[in-house]
Amino acid sequence: MRDGSAGTIMTGRSASTVDGGPPPPLTAIDLQKSFEGDANTAVEIIRSISFSLAKGEIVSIVGPSGCGKTTLLNTICGLTPASGGAVLWYGRELNGVPPRVGYMLQKDLLFPWRTALDNVLLGLEVKGIEKRIRRDRAHELLHRLGLDQFEGFYPSALSGGMRQRVALARTLAPNPEVLLLDEPFSALDFQTKILIERDTVRLVRGEGRSLLLITHDVEEAVSMSDRVLVLSHRPCKIVAEHRIDLPIDRTDMIEARETPQFSRYVKSIWTQLDIR
Amino acid sequence: MSDTSTSPAVLPWRSQQKAAAHTRWLPRRETLQILSCQLLLAAGLLAIWQWATGSAAVNAFLFGSPAAIWASLEAMVRDGSVWTDIAVTGAETLAGFALGNILGTAIGLSLWYSRFISRVLQPFILALGSIPMISVAPIVIIWFGTDFSSKVAMATLSVVVVSLVISYKGAMGVDPDQINLMRALGARKPQIFRYLVVHSALTDIFAGLKMTVGFALVGAIVGEFMTSTNGLGHAIFKAGSLYIISKVFAELAVTVALSLILASIVARVERWLLPWRHDLK
Repeated sequence: MRDGSAGTIMTGRSASTVDGGPPPPLTAIDLQKSFEGDANTAVEIIRSISFSLAKGEIVSIVGPSGCGKTTLLNTICGLTPASGGAVLWYGRELNGVPPRVGYMLQKDLLFPWRTALDNVLLGLEVKGIEKRIRRDRAHELLHRLGLDQFEGFYPSALSGGMRQRVALARTLAPNPEVLLLDEPFSALDFQTKILIERDTVRLVRGEGRSLLLITHDVEEAVSMSDRVLVLSHRPCKIVAEHRIDLPIDRTDMIEARETPQFSRYVKSIWTQLDIR
Repeated sequence: MSDTSTSPAVLPWRSQQKAAAHTRWLPRRETLQILSCQLLLAAGLLAIWQWATGSAAVNAFLFGSPAAIWASLEAMVRDGSVWTDIAVTGAETLAGFALGNILGTAIGLSLWYSRFISRVLQPFILALGSIPMISVAPIVIIWFGTDFSSKVAMATLSVVVVSLVISYKGAMGVDPDQINLMRALGARKPQIFRYLVVHSALTDIFAGLKMTVGFALVGAIVGEFMTSTNGLGHAIFKAGSLYIISKVFAELAVTVALSLILASIVARVERWLLPWRHDLK
């Protein structure tokens, strides 16, 4: 769909791109969210958030803890309705959860009654994909994440890092175009985290997906992303945007940390975070 | 120390293995100790009982005696009545247990579908749950007659509300993040129910099964107390009316055994159906 026509559809709002190319996979325009509190008071979580996520781009949103990052993700994903503004998927406003989106949280949320393989199959089963095709897809993903030997294991027999890898495979199995990850690696130890960050970046960049990563970990945000958005305290809005430009292979999380630019980005984001 | 101690590299491995063997051994020894204490305690109590009733300090006619109970048990086995009683009460219990749990679980789980309906039904369920089942026994006999079906109905009624409440709680206790995950995967309500809610509630439902198998037995026996021609409840009631206390105790012992057997069958089925629950092994 071209931008010119998207502008006339449904909402009259569109994400315009400068060159008139196809609209980006995800755009948030003046997104707002409040929850109703007691006695007709509304608790404002998100004041106003606007950004866009281009095809093949990795964008991180960092913010002080408790600033409403998870609410932001759930609102973008259509799991909770926005109080104002709009979320556009390929230039269009949708009702409910968009198709071809992958969603992953800090909790792996693996079903304990399903083996690793069956957990990966979950999204494909829900979508009614043919059995043989979905098994091939799940085998392939588990293989690429180094979990061949653990396909038949129940989650209770897997380590934290393996469980999160299975969750990543489950997220990727339906072949989503946009990934929304909420602090997916924050419960892992440093070494595991670096490895799984690398795997994620490879699987995203290698297949032209887009990734929106919500995190409180500034180093993770800088090492993985093309852009980092910094949120304020609640009610949150974007206070700064950094385009991350590191002169290295962007799938190497350790090398990223060794570049001189890395620490400068981290330092300036850290000061903008306003940790009290 | 043996000659392996000359090599320092081997030593840590040896001591590790010894430590592992030690920790593995300890629980088993403790279990043995506990078991022998339990046996001693039971034997001691039985001995005191036997001595007290034998020495006329306690009236054997009113309190029975272990020897007389044993004799009753032997007689029950010899004339075969114990087996028919077990079969009758066991069948009533299992039928009521199955019926009550199928009904209760089906209703309890389906209430997950509609928050509105579940809130409408809440006071009725609470009211139904607070009725002591023994008090509906006369109505049950009027409705279902005096034979097998009335005992099954009693057992079912003793189970159904508990099963309903437990499975409803289990369904409502599903992690909201898991529901969000299913929605993000594109699942609609029936799929969320089928893939997530039913499985997630199974843990609670099985905890309920272990509990309700006992309730079903109580229901069946209460039904037999009211009116019956056979079954363990019938035998207890008859022996009690005739002041054959040792036979009452003997039938009680059989009832306890039946209850334990039924509970262990449920636990076995649970282990078989929930292979992912490593804590059950």
